[in-house]
Amino acid sequence: MAKRLEGMQTVSTISKKLGIKRRTAINYVSKLRKEGFLRNYNGGRKVRFYIIDPLKRREVGYPGLYEVINKNSRIGLITRARYRVHGRPLSIEEVIVEAVNTGEYRTILASLDLFGKVRDWSKLKTLAVKNKLGRKVGALYDVARKFIRVRRMDLRTRKALLNSKVKSKYVIKNLRGKLGHFNDIEKLWEVYVPFNRADLMRYREW
Amino acid sequence: MVTLDEQINLLKTIGADLERKIEALVIGGSAMMFLGAKTETKDIDLVLMREEDFLLIKKILKKNGFTEKRLRIIRGDYEPKINPTFLEGMNTRFDLFFKEVVCIKITESILERVKEVHQFGKLVVKVLSPEDIILMKCTTERTGDRDDGKSLVEKFKINWDIILEESLRQTKIGDSVFPVFLYDFLVELKEDLKVDIPKDVILKIMKIAEEEIIKAKKQPFRKALAEKIV
Repeated sequence: MAKRLEGMQTVSTISKKLGIKRRTAINYVSKLRKEGFLRNYNGGRKVRFYIIDPLKRREVGYPGLYEVINKNSRIGLITRARYRVHGRPLSIEEVIVEAVNTGEYRTILASLDLFGKVRDWSKLKTLAVKNKLGRKVGALYDVARKFIRVRRMDLRTRKALLNSKVKSKYVIKNLRGKLGHFNDIEKLWEVYVPFNRADLMRYREW
Repeated sequence: MVTLDEQINLLKTIGADLERKIEALVIGGSAMMFLGAKTETKDIDLVLMREEDFLLIKKILKKNGFTEKRLRIIRGDYEPKINPTFLEGMNTRFDLFFKEVVCIKITESILERVKEVHQFGKLVVKVLSPEDIILMKCTTERTGDRDDGKSLVEKFKINWDIILEESLRQTKIGDSVFPVFLYDFLVELKEDLKVDIPKDVILKIMKIAEEEIIKAKKQPFRKALAEKIV
């Protein structure tokens, strides 16, 4: 059955696919989970998503970028591939820098929630400066601070980020929030913020 | 033979020696191990998409005690830009390919279907989808590859349309008639190894294979091959 239901499912898609009642589908979900073929995926507040894998396999390595973001952010990301990291687990600081490095709209938006979990600002600064993303990370922190409860960045880190060099002014290639909601931040950090206020309102929903 | 843990350790060794990020594709048995469809493999097959990355990985493996083995792939007039390199050491063998695996070219669609991405320090390894692994397996004539094909079909929900589309794409850009290989491979799996492959899939592939042979006969560079198949 796991083979037939491979991929992402909800209770309704399972009942539709197998032609069974909703209650029976819930029972199947429970059985598949017990057997180790199914794991929950946090896809929102109402509908529960399940990831069904026909193979019971040993997890190798540690969660990758997207999995860490999904675990720590209120905005979920769905990826085609499964990402794993070997050697040592990714820290929150590394994930923020990697997320900005991807240049992907939704990944960056989801990663804003991670600023609230940063413990080592110095590490964040070192990584961001090394990847030439210092001012971008700083600007995104300021954007996040307007909508999400985040810890205060220490002044030394802030100064270092402000004085750092970036490869390009765009956080996302050729994308800039057109409504100018974050003009003050853009002016201070000399980078273009790719969001408008409405994009960040998703965080206010919680 | 290499187990998954040994393979991971070897890839970690390469990743630790790299100074810049390199992306590689893992194919064949190594990919199957990552997907959980196999427990051990003879060699680790990596495909590099940039020439400088290919040379760098080769250099790092040699630095770690691997020695180059002189092997040549003989297949018609197959003449790649960079010959595949086989490096032996630590009881295993690394097979390095550049942009193509014998007659299969790594296309954008293959890259889009990547199932898993593993990061070993600076080395990013992408695992091919079961559909693409099957397509690669169907071009060889080794018994082991038939068993691997069987294992993949039994363990995963294979999207046959993807395989068919890719085989047509490869036929277009390459010099082989892939649907024919695919048809032979699936018939062998179904008849000899009793693998459950839908009959309509085989019939569909047979029809396409016949059409492709007729098309190939009209093309001078494929004519000889098509006549050989018939």
